[in-house]
Amino acid sequence: MTNEHRQRASAEDRETQDSSAIVFEGVTKRYGDGTVAVESLDLTLPAGELTVLVGPSGCGKTTTLRMINRLETLSAGRLLIGERDVMSVDATRLRRQIGYVMQHSGLFPHKTIADNIAVVPRLLGWDKKRLRERVAELVEMVGLDEALAARYPHQLSGGQQQRVGLARALAADPPILLMDEPFAAVDPIVRARLQTEFLDLQRRVQKTIVMVTHDIDEAMKLGDRVAIFAQGGRLARFDTPARILSTPASDFVVDFIGADRELRRLALERLDSLELDAGLTAPRDEIVARARSYLQQAGSSGIVVLDEHRAPLGWLDWDTLKQADDRARIDSLALKPWRHRLYLHDNLRSALNALISAPGEVMPVLNAQGRYVGVIDQLQLTGRLT
Amino acid sequence: MNSDFMSLMAGVIHFFSQPMNWQGPGSIPAHIIEHVTYVLISTLIGAAIALPVGIGLGHSGRGGLMAINISNIGRAIPSFGVIILVFLLVGYGVIPVIVALVALAIPPMVTNSYVGMREVDPTVRQAAVALGMTGWQRLWQVELPIALPLIMAGVRTSAVQVMSTATLAAYVGLGGLGRYLIDGLAVRDLAQVLVGAILVAVLAVVTELLFAGLQKLITARGLQ
Repeated sequence: MTNEHRQRASAEDRETQDSSAIVFEGVTKRYGDGTVAVESLDLTLPAGELTVLVGPSGCGKTTTLRMINRLETLSAGRLLIGERDVMSVDATRLRRQIGYVMQHSGLFPHKTIADNIAVVPRLLGWDKKRLRERVAELVEMVGLDEALAARYPHQLSGGQQQRVGLARALAADPPILLMDEPFAAVDPIVRARLQTEFLDLQRRVQKTIVMVTHDIDEAMKLGDRVAIFAQGGRLARFDTPARILSTPASDFVVDFIGADRELRRLALERLDSLELDAGLTAPRDEIVARARSYLQQAGSSGIVVLDEHRAPLGWLDWDTLKQADDRARIDSLALKPWRHRLYLHDNLRSALNALISAPGEVMPVLNAQGRYVGVIDQLQLTGRLT
Repeated sequence: MNSDFMSLMAGVIHFFSQPMNWQGPGSIPAHIIEHVTYVLISTLIGAAIALPVGIGLGHSGRGGLMAINISNIGRAIPSFGVIILVFLLVGYGVIPVIVALVALAIPPMVTNSYVGMREVDPTVRQAAVALGMTGWQRLWQVELPIALPLIMAGVRTSAVQVMSTATLAAYVGLGGLGRYLIDGLAVRDLAQVLVGAILVAVLAVVTELLFAGLQKLITARGLQ
């Protein structure tokens, strides 16, 4: 490579580093048989944000994603990354500057985890030392045990493989990350954990991320913005999750986000944004007579019994209290425990779920240390709905 | 019958124990070397033709069915017929034998290398494209290493088949272990025929084992 070549190459690299908004201008994708996957799409995905493309199958969301790194070729229109038209750049060079995570990790079975992660840096000609350091850094960043680096993909669980897939995509620190249903193939529990960790990671790395999913809950949870596609590759809505849920704008969007959109909105709000009721509580060593008088004064149907660390033991209702011996300790009575634990960082939708199965009409809320901070009741939640 | 068999075995042992059968031209080692030379040359030429075809078709994913069908037809052609035909065309020499053995070696290698390449997980191929590998990088760094065990299995099948069939060389006056079969039959020396048969069988088994070991050796650890 001549000096001049090298300078030009690094100038091009910088270009993607600096301006990485992705702009679709009248982009159309038509296949040979005449089917239109994407129809005259105008869309600007802002730099440093996570945009989720969501919609029913066959709506062109995956095709849209794959046009960004030229896995699909556009039939008409322009697709810009920053100022640069993707069709004017060499495809392999473009792809090395764009991370790609797929549904099934697509790891190379004959290479170790470390070598899988190092693929793109190696294509870019990094030296050994830099490669090694980067791999170690990434293994930690995506939450993998470093002992796994020397293993092979088939020795890892699905969740671990997805983490490696993410590390591989991030390896050369690309400004843009494309993710094609990255969490769809793992079981729901692992998925929820990966999603949360991924959000944390995005807060730290601040890349321009485009993610495809068919799961509207995932879209609303992860997206800074959500683009909802309708059949035939039309963009039905592009906005923040909160605005989409409060003003859906069209029947299609209402249908797609579902009849329970009010409930979905609850999922966007956390308990610590509410003013919690202090509730009626008593320590476990309280005697029945005193507890009875608290209850009568407050006009409540029951009381939250707390242990010595102010963690809720259970719900004591009037019927139990009424029949008990005056001088008995209340923790000797039949307390009704809660099936769920609700913390301040939980969202209102989980609160609603917990309330439905709670004994009594209230649900205690805990701080991060598990201590009681107050209660939430159905009335407070329904007040939050329109 | 029983005494016939005993005397036959005695003849075989006698043959193997004669020092003169182990030295000089026309001895057992000389025939083995001739035989193995035919096998090596034809398998290598066959591989040089078959592997690029099978791997290339498998990589591009085009025309594979045609290649497999043609090579299957090739399988149906009797090697002896090919030898006679080429012998009539070019006359005496090693060429008819090599042509027949090459034709025999090609089909398993084309089929296996094509199938091996097609068996590479499409997700893995797609990942290689999406990560920014060029066509050659995908071929050398991803598809070939993954397909290698199946490709090698094809080479192994070919080599073993050629090893057994190379006895035909003796029919057109050449050497190799077929000499014992032809010459033994000509003078009704069954012990000598049996010696040839045993040697060919042993060589075929040794070839099989060698390739099995080689295949294990070059298969990436992640694929085992």
